[in-house]
Amino acid sequence: MMDELRNEIEEVKRSFADELGHVQSHQDIALLREKYFSRKKGIVTGFFDRLKTIETGRRPQAGKLVNGLRAFISERLAAAEAPLAARTPPRGRWTDCTLPLSELPLGHLHPLNFVRSQIEELFQQLGYEIADGPEIESEFHNFDALNFLPEHPARDEQDTFFVADFPDLILRTHTSPVQIRYMMAHRPPIRIIAPGKVFRKDNPDATHTPVFHQIEGLLVDRGVTFSHLKGTLEHFVRRYFGPGIRTRFRPSYFPFTEPSAETDISCFICPGDDPDCRICKGKGWLEIGGSGMVHPQVLRNCGIDPARYSGFAFGMGIERMTIIKYGVPDLRMLYDNDLRIIEQLG
Amino acid sequence: MRIDTVFLKQMINYEGSGTELAEWLPTIGIEIEAVHGSDRGVLEFEITPNRPDWLSHYGVAREIAAKERSLVFTPLDLPEFIMAKKPLPFRVVIEDPADCARYSGAIILDIKVKPSPPWLRNLIERLGLRPINNVVDISNLVMFTCGHPLHIFDLQILEKKEIRIRRAKTNEKLVLLDGQEVILGPDQLVIADGRKPVALAGIMGGQASGVTDATTTIFIESAHFHPPVIRRSCRALGLKTDASYRFERGMDVENTITAMRLAVKWLAEDQGKPLELAFFQDRYPRPWKPQVVRLEKGFADALTGIAMDPRSSIEILQRLGFGVKQRGGHWEVSTPSFRVDVTGPADLVEEIIRIHGYEHLDAELPPQAGTAIVPNRERELEMTIGQHLVAHGFYEVINYVFQAPEENRPFQLESADVRLKNPLGRDFSTMKAALLPGLLRNCRHNVDQNVKRIMLFEIGKVFSRNQAVQEKRNLALAVTGEYLHRDWRQPEAPFDFHHFRGLLDALFRHLRWPVEWLASKHPFFDPACCLAVTAGGKPAGHVGRIASGHALAVGLEQGVYAGEFDLEQLSANSVQRSFRMWNRFPVSRRDFSFLMDKTISYLQLQRQIDGLRPESLENHELLDVYEGKGIPAEKISLAMSFTYRGRDKTLSGEEVNEIHGRFIARLAEQLGLIQR
Repeated sequence: MMDELRNEIEEVKRSFADELGHVQSHQDIALLREKYFSRKKGIVTGFFDRLKTIETGRRPQAGKLVNGLRAFISERLAAAEAPLAARTPPRGRWTDCTLPLSELPLGHLHPLNFVRSQIEELFQQLGYEIADGPEIESEFHNFDALNFLPEHPARDEQDTFFVADFPDLILRTHTSPVQIRYMMAHRPPIRIIAPGKVFRKDNPDATHTPVFHQIEGLLVDRGVTFSHLKGTLEHFVRRYFGPGIRTRFRPSYFPFTEPSAETDISCFICPGDDPDCRICKGKGWLEIGGSGMVHPQVLRNCGIDPARYSGFAFGMGIERMTIIKYGVPDLRMLYDNDLRIIEQLG
Repeated sequence: MRIDTVFLKQMINYEGSGTELAEWLPTIGIEIEAVHGSDRGVLEFEITPNRPDWLSHYGVAREIAAKERSLVFTPLDLPEFIMAKKPLPFRVVIEDPADCARYSGAIILDIKVKPSPPWLRNLIERLGLRPINNVVDISNLVMFTCGHPLHIFDLQILEKKEIRIRRAKTNEKLVLLDGQEVILGPDQLVIADGRKPVALAGIMGGQASGVTDATTTIFIESAHFHPPVIRRSCRALGLKTDASYRFERGMDVENTITAMRLAVKWLAEDQGKPLELAFFQDRYPRPWKPQVVRLEKGFADALTGIAMDPRSSIEILQRLGFGVKQRGGHWEVSTPSFRVDVTGPADLVEEIIRIHGYEHLDAELPPQAGTAIVPNRERELEMTIGQHLVAHGFYEVINYVFQAPEENRPFQLESADVRLKNPLGRDFSTMKAALLPGLLRNCRHNVDQNVKRIMLFEIGKVFSRNQAVQEKRNLALAVTGEYLHRDWRQPEAPFDFHHFRGLLDALFRHLRWPVEWLASKHPFFDPACCLAVTAGGKPAGHVGRIASGHALAVGLEQGVYAGEFDLEQLSANSVQRSFRMWNRFPVSRRDFSFLMDKTISYLQLQRQIDGLRPESLENHELLDVYEGKGIPAEKISLAMSFTYRGRDKTLSGEEVNEIHGRFIARLAEQLGLIQR
């Protein structure tokens, strides 16, 4: 009885050794393991099951034999696995890990929205909220409340699109009406930026499109000064264009601010003497936007007492920022939505 | 406007070069556009609408002297008028002083009209004008020097010895200096003689009364006109001249005599003899009174944020021409006649700080706000959508807000279009009702550039009207071409509708927006491939294959899959995160292969499954769709797998078999399915 078992076990060992010799891959080892150790049909498992049929007295000895078989097979399987990792791949399956990768699609934000979100983030860090307003506006919010007197040439400087059948409605020419709406609905302190599309009747050319984007800021509180405005704009230029860029803050005019200012930054390509400079055309300075202390009449129009509060407002063209920062030669490329430019800059 | 720095030096002791001045003038608010002349001595600039007083050498000289304390502005020497012993009978009549606050007229007999002397021709050219003759050129030079436009008539043409400033009568005609005939009406202010209009006041003179080589006697006009009247006429007639540009913005009513005297002085020098005025009258029905602005002490410091020496501030205002009276806690500042723009204390602060120098301002950030900012949810949503789509391969596009009327037609189903009164052109005349036509054009543009994979999205406003104009924000997406390019690992994978739906579904799941997809028809999409999307039971948009008619209309032959959604509708029902314990009992899977009539859509099968679904049916998947060999022509073969899991106990194999068997039997019965 015991001899029979011993012979069977030896036979299995010989058979296994033979099979082990043909093993070429991890797959082969797994299959072998399954063959010998699977719960239902494994050969070694079968031997363990048969132990139950052996008379109790003989069981310890039989058990030792079966355990020996288990150890024999499992150790050799483990040993066979290690070298496989180091062996060259089996014949017929050549690989080269330096072959080209399969590119997956990756998209981009539109450069104008990308620039807009960078500027928004800068001002959000200073505590500004983002405010919004309608693109179709009333003449009141767009001009009258902002101190553009009727018949004044200043209204002409902005060629306006008028809406048919609605005599008081226009497409807004700047995002300043958002500031008016916000001031009329909130008490100071007010700290907002208003980004969005604006519209002027300009024939499209390299530096003008009839639809473009502005971002305007407004801060109204007690004791706000012109120096605070200058400081805020210088801070913005440092953060957005880098510490090496100089700023120039000079007098200007807008109907809705007094005093008013324009901010220029130093050209980062030429020192100001190259008439062919594609960015500044030899002026050495680039205008980035207007600003000023909110005109007392505008505050009054919004129900804010200019004797108690003061504020500043500033605005920038997002297209202009994009052109300055990235050197886009023709604005219309941003509206053709050529994927090549969106990919480069978005 | 041009300034000749050589000429300027006649009125101010400035020693520097034109180039230096060009660097320096922007710091007080005059932005230099260009520098002309071989000596780079001619500076060109645009004025801001509030400073018409800069449209003259006098104005600029005054500004320079205000800034530089060592410089003095000295207006040119003006001799007194020489009146003729026997004045000519003539009269000047202003019908309405509201239109014309002052009119000075003078007559000089015995003038020889000839080409200007070289110095004058040269100066006129440097100032950007064409020399015409001595009289016209001197008139222009007066305007550039002291800022006030004159007009000079040939006296011979003036009838009835009268100049009358009046409104035109309806249908009165006038041929202008440039040859144009204009039809006038009561909105136009004219200079007329006793019989007919001879000039459009403040804008342009008539051809008949213009100065020519044959002129020997002249009438000089120096007047002030009400800006809105001039402006309205210019708009109505489509005219714009150097004179009207100045009158529109408001001239200095106290300057008219100075201008007249300058003209007479230069004419006399040109003619080589002193000139008598055969007639002179100054009608001044509305004398100017200075405006007084109250400036509180400390206001300038408070507004600028820096401490300025009050004495220097007063000095600055005085050098600019303001009169300052100290009154205890404030100053009374009276405005000069050439400053039409100063009406309040903030204007005075601007004058002070502008001359003092913006470089003296501190540059500090205002103190940080004490309150937390309110996040802009719409913007955050846009950013999340944008970042998700970008990560999935989409490029964002931005299109114009208007398009051609026919591009709106498939979309304006319940409302009407919003149109522009003065569009750039027909293709830009209608506010868009949908974003997709723009994306379709973008697809075409990029297909032309040989781009093989095009995945676009746009978030933007769309417009419609019922009683009032409405704006709402939409999200639109479009894909065309191949999703994956062919390479050594895989063949190319062109986009198809189911893949596009998968991309949309990924977005909806990321944002936690539950939606339903329903079979639908929409004029923009192929009737065989169009679904409506609803959120919270309300319509939120449509998706599908763009109808080939619309694609071909923009020159696209390949299929484009697209969708457009109302963002507010789509996002209104987003699901909050919350914990729900998952079922831990084991699953059992059963497969079911069957034939179904092609007339039944998968959506209908889905509905039946949902309707008949046993409680323990957790999930189902479509594994295979097959038609062709061995399948009857009117049928389609489907293989599905169903996953069962007990709610509160483990289901045995027999139990699952029973549930599954009953379920598919009823399903088959409802839809006429034949099991395979």
